[in-house]
Amino acid sequence: MTAVLHLRNVVKQYGDSRALDGVSLSLPDNSYISLLGPSGSGKTTLLRVIAGFEQPEAGEIRFQGARIDALPPHQRGIGFVFQNFALFPHLSVEQNIAFGLTNRAIDPVTDGEVVRRKVKDMIALVGLTGLEDRGVSQISGGQKQRVALARTLVTEPKMVLLDEPLGALDANLRTRMRSELRSIRERCGVTFLHVTGSETEALAMGDTVLVLDRARIAQQGDADTIYNRPSSPAVARFLNCYNLLPGQVSGESFVSSVGTLGLGGLRQTAANPTYAIRYDRVSIRAKDAALADGETGIDGTFIASEYTGSAVNAFFTLADGSIFEVEQHLSHAAPSTFEPQAAYRLAWKKEDALVYA
Amino acid sequence: MTMPHLVDDTAPAAVTLPKARAGNLWLVAPGVLWMTLFLVLPIAMMVYVSFWTQTTFKIEPTLTLQSWITFFSSDTYLGALWTTIRIWLIVLATTLLVGYPAALFVGLFVKNKTLQTVLLVLCVIPFWTSFLIRVLAWRPMLGKEGAINLILMKLGIVSQPIEVLLFSDLSVIIGMTQIYCVFMVGPIAFMLGRIDPSIIEAAQDLGAGFWRIFRTIILPLSMPGVVVGAIFVSVMVLGEFATSAALSGRKVNLLGNIIVTQVGSLKWAFAAVAGVVLTILMGAVVAVLLRVVDLRKEL
Repeated sequence: MTAVLHLRNVVKQYGDSRALDGVSLSLPDNSYISLLGPSGSGKTTLLRVIAGFEQPEAGEIRFQGARIDALPPHQRGIGFVFQNFALFPHLSVEQNIAFGLTNRAIDPVTDGEVVRRKVKDMIALVGLTGLEDRGVSQISGGQKQRVALARTLVTEPKMVLLDEPLGALDANLRTRMRSELRSIRERCGVTFLHVTGSETEALAMGDTVLVLDRARIAQQGDADTIYNRPSSPAVARFLNCYNLLPGQVSGESFVSSVGTLGLGGLRQTAANPTYAIRYDRVSIRAKDAALADGETGIDGTFIASEYTGSAVNAFFTLADGSIFEVEQHLSHAAPSTFEPQAAYRLAWKKEDALVYA
Repeated sequence: MTMPHLVDDTAPAAVTLPKARAGNLWLVAPGVLWMTLFLVLPIAMMVYVSFWTQTTFKIEPTLTLQSWITFFSSDTYLGALWTTIRIWLIVLATTLLVGYPAALFVGLFVKNKTLQTVLLVLCVIPFWTSFLIRVLAWRPMLGKEGAINLILMKLGIVSQPIEVLLFSDLSVIIGMTQIYCVFMVGPIAFMLGRIDPSIIEAAQDLGAGFWRIFRTIILPLSMPGVVVGAIFVSVMVLGEFATSAALSGRKVNLLGNIIVTQVGSLKWAFAAVAGVVLTILMGAVVAVLLRVVDLRKEL
């Protein structure tokens, strides 16, 4: 697969703080890429630098082989879909979508017939047929999202940047738009770079997932790799499905403040030694139950549980007061009940743990 | 009846406010009373008086069209009407020409909200002195031996003082533009400040250059401000008399000046005719301006 966008050592500074601290990445052509990062990690800044709304202090941006750092946004050929949609409030749906075609500085389409045909095709593609003459204040959030996307796609950019495109929609619509966005992208054959703060959205949508942490790219990989083998404790924390225990490696075990744990699974290097175990890899046993061969575990006090429909999330406090979460899927078992404030043994296979040291 | 093709979940639901109860109407009573006593009645009185019989020394409530006939057959009055319209249109154009770029700078290019407010307050500073002083201050500026002529002559740009600067149409236009410009800047800057910056970024991203964005996005979105500013300026300029009295050397007679002289010589009926004509003119101007933009929709 050929790469369409290269960033090398891009730095963007706001006053004293670095919003982008030497970001380097390479994005494949014709794929869906999601960029995951907590708020304040610099993900919107990264998009705005790529689009040309912000100038980086250092580094190099190459798009389709040519350097674009110095080009103004309207000469880059990169589409941008804004979080708040940024539709032109005084224009109708049709006029909004036609705007780029007729008003762009480079190669504007002057033939009204061509514009009408392209806009009509695009309206059909995003499923807005029948709303052409509506004002943009007279349509729903999901429809505005489609207008914003259509307005960008009709200009045939080689790449589309989406800044938390589903953030302004309600939960139901968000799930529906996910698959919609993916299928629209497949029909257009361009690269989508989708920025989100939601780990489920990032994993569900991206062919490739980028994780941004403290102004740097922390990991790049497919959803499965990111989820099962996060490359650092920080990435594991964003994924919101790992219990992280700080401590030290000592010989064949990991000494944490809540007990000594057996080593087994993948070991990766990290500055702060951390032991990570996924919520759904842990089983809850009686306090004095013995550990099977290849297992390790700790003791925890049950506090509360949360029923989510397909699973129950149980929360325990450990010896040092930290919270330990266990997810029990309900597809094969009825929900078990636990005694509040009672002690339980939390056990897992050594090989399921990820160790950063 | 056919079913609509798409399920329409977005049409604004018909909102039915509970009918205003008789008790609530008392809330508007003071306003209605005030406006009736001091606006509606005087206007009605003015229309009535314009049909009274005016003789040299007295006025009688005998209804006649004489004052109206005199007004519309007199070159002086029709000339004043024409001058009023001409000066109004020119001042409207100059305030827009001077005001719009200033508003564009303050409302769109100054990103800092505090600085924006400071700049708008700066525009209002001239209003801290009285209207007459502001008008009269133009005399030592524009006069034959005024500051501008003096400087131009010192620099050798002109050898004779430019006499047309003071006591002419030009001086009235310069004075009015300076005084009323801020009423144009304010509403336009307000509308421009309300434009979401991401809308302009979106237009850039779609490939449009600055002038294209100005013409297709910024100008249409600022039109309500232009219309409100134009209404302010129009109403004030059409009713003007002081600036032309002070800066034109009585060469420029606006309808306002006619009214002042007629009232001064106790010709109430003529003054009333001029007043009615002026009121109708203002009403027409405001109505036309409101046609340009649907303010209820935009604000």
